[in-house]
Amino acid sequence: MTTISPEALTDLLFRLADDELLVGHRNSEWTGVAPIIEEDIAFSSMAQDEMGHAQAYYTILHEQLGQDDPDKLAFLRNPDDFRSALLAEMKRADWAHALMRQFLYDTAEHIRVEAYREHPFEPLAQVARKISGEEKYHLMHARMWVTKLGNATDESRQKLQDALDTLWPYALGLFEQPQHEQPAPFDENTLRQQWLDFVCPLLQSASLRPAAEENDGQWTSTVAAKTGRYGKPSDDRLDLLNAMQQVYRIDPEAEW
Amino acid sequence: MTDQKHDTQWRLWEVFHQAKRGAAHTHVGSVHAPDADMALLLAKEQFARRQACVNLWVVPTDAIHATAYEDDDIFIHGTDKSYREAFGYKVRSRIRASMEEDTDDDD
Repeated sequence: MTTISPEALTDLLFRLADDELLVGHRNSEWTGVAPIIEEDIAFSSMAQDEMGHAQAYYTILHEQLGQDDPDKLAFLRNPDDFRSALLAEMKRADWAHALMRQFLYDTAEHIRVEAYREHPFEPLAQVARKISGEEKYHLMHARMWVTKLGNATDESRQKLQDALDTLWPYALGLFEQPQHEQPAPFDENTLRQQWLDFVCPLLQSASLRPAAEENDGQWTSTVAAKTGRYGKPSDDRLDLLNAMQQVYRIDPEAEW
Repeated sequence: MTDQKHDTQWRLWEVFHQAKRGAAHTHVGSVHAPDADMALLLAKEQFARRQACVNLWVVPTDAIHATAYEDDDIFIHGTDKSYREAFGYKVRSRIRASMEEDTDDDD
């Protein structure tokens, strides 16, 4: 069995957990204001799913890798120590932006979770197998909305195309080079290629054009990734964490 | 059923939920959706979040034909016809319970 250093596992698990927590929080900002009540409930429910996945990853960090307990990792950690991608952090815009973010995020997560089912670190493989049903639904949801609206009217297609153009470089940033790379085929380059080859044909079937080119069935992005997992936190991350952590920080010892 | 004439949203679909394979689908409510795919997608989060579910049906509300409430007197038994009711079969509930237990064992 491949042995992966605790540092590499810790880096990976924080990326996974922080993405889920922050995108879950951003999606929860649609609760009460989504376009129709049924979708409001579905979108909120999926936001809860993502937060549940974050908790599962934080629990691995706590129980296997010597980190603090999940609540403290979520609510007391400093913004500099988060490893979330810019795509997960971006503040809420319009509904096309929300749908496209969910589509790009959940297609990427689908590729990742399917790969990690066979990851040599068994606790991660177990979580991947456990959450794959929820992720399957997220993927169905995202594909259906994007395919239907992409093929509906000129206006709906254009709104999704604009959102795609804005979000595409940030989606590539989900696969930012880590501080400690995983062994193949779990490395970011392999996952990014699998994602590109999966997502580009789906976008085409929704009459949308990703900033990418195909060569012999293999897709390459024509624009560079926008990355932000490491280093100075984005303003969106700071705003989000300020909103999310402020109540907990008033009294960290409170019983909930 | 909701009165479609006063509904300004998408088409209405009735949702039927199945708790386990072989069990009857039960009507659990309705959703608005532009088509059947979307109705199934949205029904999943409205009606299968908290309870066990293996299968959902959606049916366009306007595909359902119903009797009129003003005619509900057709259901009243005018004379005593208790001879044709099946309350005598006391063993039935026990058979059903034992069948369900058998199915549970198969899970």
